[in-house]
Amino acid sequence: MKQTVFLFILMLLLFGGAGAAADSRTFTVGFDANFPPYGYVEKGEYRGFDLDLAREVARRRGWKIVLKPINWEAKDSELKSGMIDCIWNGFTINGREHSYTWSDPYVVNEQVVMVKKDSPVVKLTDLKGRKVAVQTDTPVMKALQPGGERYQDLGKKLKELVIAPDYNNAVMMLESGSVDAVAMDVGVAKTKLSGGFRLLDEIVMKENYGIGFRKGDIRLRDEVQNTLLEMVADGSAAKISALYFEGKNVVAIGQIQAIDESGKNSESNKDELIHTVCELGKGLLVSMLIFALTLVFALPLGLVIAAGRMSRNFVLRSFFKIFISVMRGTPLMLQLLIWFFGPYYLFGIQLSKLSFCGIDYRFIAVIIGFSLNYAAYFAEIYRAGIGSIPAGQYEAATVLGYSGWQTFRRIIFPQVIKRILPPVTNEVITLVKDTSLAFSLAVLEMFTIAKQIASATSSMMPFVVAGVFYYVFNFLVASAMAALEKKLNYYR
Amino acid sequence: MSDLQKNNSVSVLEVSNLNKKFDRLQVLENISFNVKKGEVVAIIGPSGSGKTTLLRCAAMLEKADGGTLSVGGVPVMTDGEYAGKTVLKAGRRKCGMVFQAFNLFPHMSVLENITDAPVHVAGVPKSEAVREANKLLSDMGLLEHASSYPCELSGGQQQRVAIARALALHPEILFFDEPTSALDPELTKEVLHVIRALAEEDMTMVIVTHEMDFAEMVADRIIFVADGKVVEEGAAGDLINNPVNERTKAFIAGLKGE
Repeated sequence: MKQTVFLFILMLLLFGGAGAAADSRTFTVGFDANFPPYGYVEKGEYRGFDLDLAREVARRRGWKIVLKPINWEAKDSELKSGMIDCIWNGFTINGREHSYTWSDPYVVNEQVVMVKKDSPVVKLTDLKGRKVAVQTDTPVMKALQPGGERYQDLGKKLKELVIAPDYNNAVMMLESGSVDAVAMDVGVAKTKLSGGFRLLDEIVMKENYGIGFRKGDIRLRDEVQNTLLEMVADGSAAKISALYFEGKNVVAIGQIQAIDESGKNSESNKDELIHTVCELGKGLLVSMLIFALTLVFALPLGLVIAAGRMSRNFVLRSFFKIFISVMRGTPLMLQLLIWFFGPYYLFGIQLSKLSFCGIDYRFIAVIIGFSLNYAAYFAEIYRAGIGSIPAGQYEAATVLGYSGWQTFRRIIFPQVIKRILPPVTNEVITLVKDTSLAFSLAVLEMFTIAKQIASATSSMMPFVVAGVFYYVFNFLVASAMAALEKKLNYYR
Repeated sequence: MSDLQKNNSVSVLEVSNLNKKFDRLQVLENISFNVKKGEVVAIIGPSGSGKTTLLRCAAMLEKADGGTLSVGGVPVMTDGEYAGKTVLKAGRRKCGMVFQAFNLFPHMSVLENITDAPVHVAGVPKSEAVREANKLLSDMGLLEHASSYPCELSGGQQQRVAIARALALHPEILFFDEPTSALDPELTKEVLHVIRALAEEDMTMVIVTHEMDFAEMVADRIIFVADGKVVEEGAAGDLINNPVNERTKAFIAGLKGE
């Protein structure tokens, strides 16, 4: 009897397992969840035109679909490492022809310019001398940058091309007045128009959307493409399109000329490395500037905050206690966004439009955010250091007639410096790496540039170079701190 | 100075009806005593008796809750009321203090420890402060350590530097809070030797100590404190050899029995 049951279970496992194996072919679609109407989050679920198309393809093929939101900068690593099977998300073919195995283009997309309703900008030529935001690593960004197809007649004439980390950030900049226009994908732009914006009639450029597969994965490409063609033929693709594009059918697969994959990337590895190092070097200067200015402001400010935190006045002490708690308890990136966008969204002040002595408020907001955040950490380090000095030092100073300030300045503080050097070194080294957060306000420091080059060249090399730069920078910082520590080692 | 002269000269420290509480605990209760110019007074008593608190109140490190205190003729506190800032500062200039744990400034050299306060607090020209510090160091036999840091010295040497640091400001009275308790027995001697030399130069001193032999040798007068009160007070030899009060007898017998 027992044996029968055992066999039965074994058979169940075997056949059940076999059945599951046949069904279990998964189709993992990578997408940027901030890209309406192609892929986005609504009420906790992934929705979007491209995702619905992908779902339908998977359903017809009997595949199990996995929707995987990805970090857009990491899309190549995700694909190459097999974490995802394709990138299907309003993915522009132009400029990336050789980096992927492409489906035929299925949507012709336009890159348009969005401005505020009351903006004086009507034509593209009106953008001359104005600030225009784009999302990082998008075709329109490349088109407007040096070497791009719209650089000579448009990009070059702008006052500044501001590179935002995502669409929302770019639109917030437009809303708060820190840029005059956003150049973006028409599909996305239309979802944002209700915020008091309009589009220019002229478009910046046209581009083709395709599905990007791992280079050489022709079999999967053909399977997906054939099913997609079936869906076009029976009208189900048009139905999905109607849901997202006000009843219109945007699917145009088969009507757009297929792309030419024959060419080879012409840039040699050596030139690429030199280019990468030069570009990252520029970014490193910005990172170092943020680093140095933050220390210049945060180190003294931390002492003031520590004094407030240790004050005998209850109100003062409580204020600084809460300040430190908030600064340490919320992400620095969020704080940066608040310093930059807060004045507009909270008080309607368009600080972000201004520049002080030629310095963009964008950069000032970064320095304010970093300085206050690090000052909070330094304050606690100072407080611990001051608290660790034995009471006898204060008593000896009192009996010798030192004033309160003299006691601090001549007796306590020199000893505090020695004691807090190790924790301060920790913070300073973290700061070197934290400078990359400046990207959330579109300040191009080294890591941002590394991400851009990496996605443009589909290579990990820029990250390796950036890593080396960070390490060398930190090595020098740590050596300097160690030298200082050694210098103060003359007493215990 | 003879004992007679000492008795006739002015009081450098006047304490009367001094009271001190820590929360509810009465640490000092109606303590009164005077120290005349050139006199050396030792305060003895069991641990927890309040003798260190008494010294710290007299040296203005601790605020008393009631009583009258005058240091070097400066009325620091009158009937429980402390004087204003300037008066307190003047009073502070009259006293020096030597701590059980030395409390030297570790980031300063021996010379800097001694000259820093004269230069930055008293406004003495640096060259003069250095000259005087060197003289004090040479008196203490520490001249060769002028540029050393406190951590490089033995406990006895550190305590002698601390005494030099206090003397550099020319106090009218010097307070010692168990100056040898943190020292190994063999290092105690060198510190006691210095204090004895100061007594011979008629330095006014109040010393809280456990060293009975030393107290008998160097002090003119001994005050026995217990439970925050002055239990017995008298000439050094009398109090140690012929105590009157039972508690004093028990305390001294206990120490001798050790």
